[in-house]
Amino acid sequence: MRALTWHGEKDVRVSEVPRPEIVEPTDAIVEITATAICGSDLHLYNDRMPGMREGDVLGHEPMGEVVETGDEVENLEVGDRVVVPFTISCGSCWFCEEDLYSLCDNSNPNAEMARKMMGQSPAGLFGYSHLLGGYAGGQAEYLRVPYADVGPIKIESDVPDEQVLFLSDVFPTGYMAAENADIEPEDTVAVWGCGPVGQFAVQSAQMMGANQVIAIDRVPERLEMAGTHGDAETINYEHADVYDQLMSMTGGRGPDRCIDAVGTEAHGTGLDGVSDRVKEGAKLQDDRPYVLREAIKCCRKGGTLSVPGVYLGRANVPFGPLMNKALTVKTGQTHMQRYLDPLLGKIEEGEIDPSFIISHQVGLEDGPEMYQTFNDKEDDCIKVVMTP
Amino acid sequence: MSEHSFDSAVEEVSNSMHPGASAGAESNRSRWKRVGTVALGGALVAFGLRRRSLGGTVLALVGGALSYRTLSDYLSDAGGTEPVERSITIDKPADELSDLARDPENLERIVGHFADVSAVGDERYRWSAAGPLARELSWEMEITTDESGERLRWETVDDDASGALFDAWSLSFDSAPGDRGTEVTLEVRLDPPGGTAGSAAVERLDVVPESLVGTALDRFKSLAETGTVPTTENRPSARGRGDLL
Ligand SMILES: [Zn+2]
Ligand SMILES: [Zn+2]
Repeated sequence: MRALTWHGEKDVRVSEVPRPEIVEPTDAIVEITATAICGSDLHLYNDRMPGMREGDVLGHEPMGEVVETGDEVENLEVGDRVVVPFTISCGSCWFCEEDLYSLCDNSNPNAEMARKMMGQSPAGLFGYSHLLGGYAGGQAEYLRVPYADVGPIKIESDVPDEQVLFLSDVFPTGYMAAENADIEPEDTVAVWGCGPVGQFAVQSAQMMGANQVIAIDRVPERLEMAGTHGDAETINYEHADVYDQLMSMTGGRGPDRCIDAVGTEAHGTGLDGVSDRVKEGAKLQDDRPYVLREAIKCCRKGGTLSVPGVYLGRANVPFGPLMNKALTVKTGQTHMQRYLDPLLGKIEEGEIDPSFIISHQVGLEDGPEMYQTFNDKEDDCIKVVMTP
Repeated sequence: MSEHSFDSAVEEVSNSMHPGASAGAESNRSRWKRVGTVALGGALVAFGLRRRSLGGTVLALVGGALSYRTLSDYLSDAGGTEPVERSITIDKPADELSDLARDPENLERIVGHFADVSAVGDERYRWSAAGPLARELSWEMEITTDESGERLRWETVDDDASGALFDAWSLSFDSAPGDRGTEVTLEVRLDPPGGTAGSAAVERLDVVPESLVGTALDRFKSLAETGTVPTTENRPSARGRGDLL
């Protein structure tokens, strides 16, 4: 079958790889009908995530049709149309039972490796390094889905792929980001990053009744999208100082709730940005926590900082201000299974149509080129959907 | 741990994975270094990554440069008898877990990342493992303590010519607080070929005992809680060079 495979920094190829097979009786094989490139795939594209091997199949935002099931799969049948969430969860461990699916104890075959780095291993993820499982991803014609009774959600209505595909990651991730921000009715919410997760965080914050939502980015079309679709006020950080701007918009209080939907690859400006690049070059830090630092500085005292953005290693974060301002920080990979049913409901009832973020629809063979376009933020690229 | 000793530890692990290093080794080594520096940060390094040759079992757990070092240290200092011990919490009652661990088929799945196990008698099991130098290790163990739901211990009984990897494998079970199940502790006493002067032998085997024990416990837990051991075998990947990390 054809798949997009990783071969090193900025080297994604269309390859012919063996078609996946049922390995465990709890597996299913899904024929992919639509699959997206995610902002966090760019951390792999830029070779910033340890644990990749040449030939690894990329992709963690897939959907398709079940073509084969293992003997013990009960919830799915051949022919079912499913969206596959990016986290892999066993459904049986203490964490899964507590609805903390992205912290599943059993789905990472390389848990020992992750434990050495993080102390404990989170769940395995599709197409996201051997540190997080080494599972083949979904930018391919077929995908093996372990614990098939636990992850995939069946789509029984006739909503098109484009509307439900983002249940695989960015819609629930933006939603959980807003939920983690503990938004209350009179709150001002600031969202750094207007990529897909940021867009869904903006809209989710609105759904949760925020009084004011402020979106921060440097790409004009992303800001425009947050304004028109998400009813957000916007700050272009290349044209204004974010701290000054936020203070003037909130009477000097700072936003009550701050969401870092950027993560490790923030493009800082000024001295801080340069200093991040120097430290990174000298291997003194692994991440560019520019947004994290800015959010800590801007957030209202006693406010909440929600971090859906992906960080990889040790980020140099000002812990003093965080502590002295008594901020609450909430983070984590998305506990996908919590959100699939309720968010599918919102889509089916027409409350939201997530397809607004799609900027490019191409075939799998255009994947390598699209990675580059997306990485370079060219051609107004916000979200790429591919059909194998 | 200083940056320097970290780098050399990473290099050591890298070298042990690529005996007879070829032209490709240089870039691989620098990749290890880079990855190590990037990944590790304040945390201890190292990724023990299982490699399995087609068909056979390969005892090739690599990683844990620091633990690896610790092992070499204590092997030369303390004579190779210090046990390696790790614990995990499994969401099942202790009785069920000790029954599961006693069954040779289950035991085989739990230790499948480095050894094959089969029953040769009522409470007697044959273990075998292969190292990268194609050295076949094979030995028999017998249950010497069997207190259901509390303790299970196997000891090596006949250490035949090809040698045993360890001389004791023991599990103990304690109830965990609240609804969390059972705290399972696995203790393994290594007895690598070469005995007390065996640190060189262990190096050649690429055994990182902590990783071996940690992974065995992970697999035990997954088997008990889900009925399967997670795997990425038969996956369309992991081809080509630079495939350690
Ligand atoms: Zn994603
Ligand atoms: Zn689980």
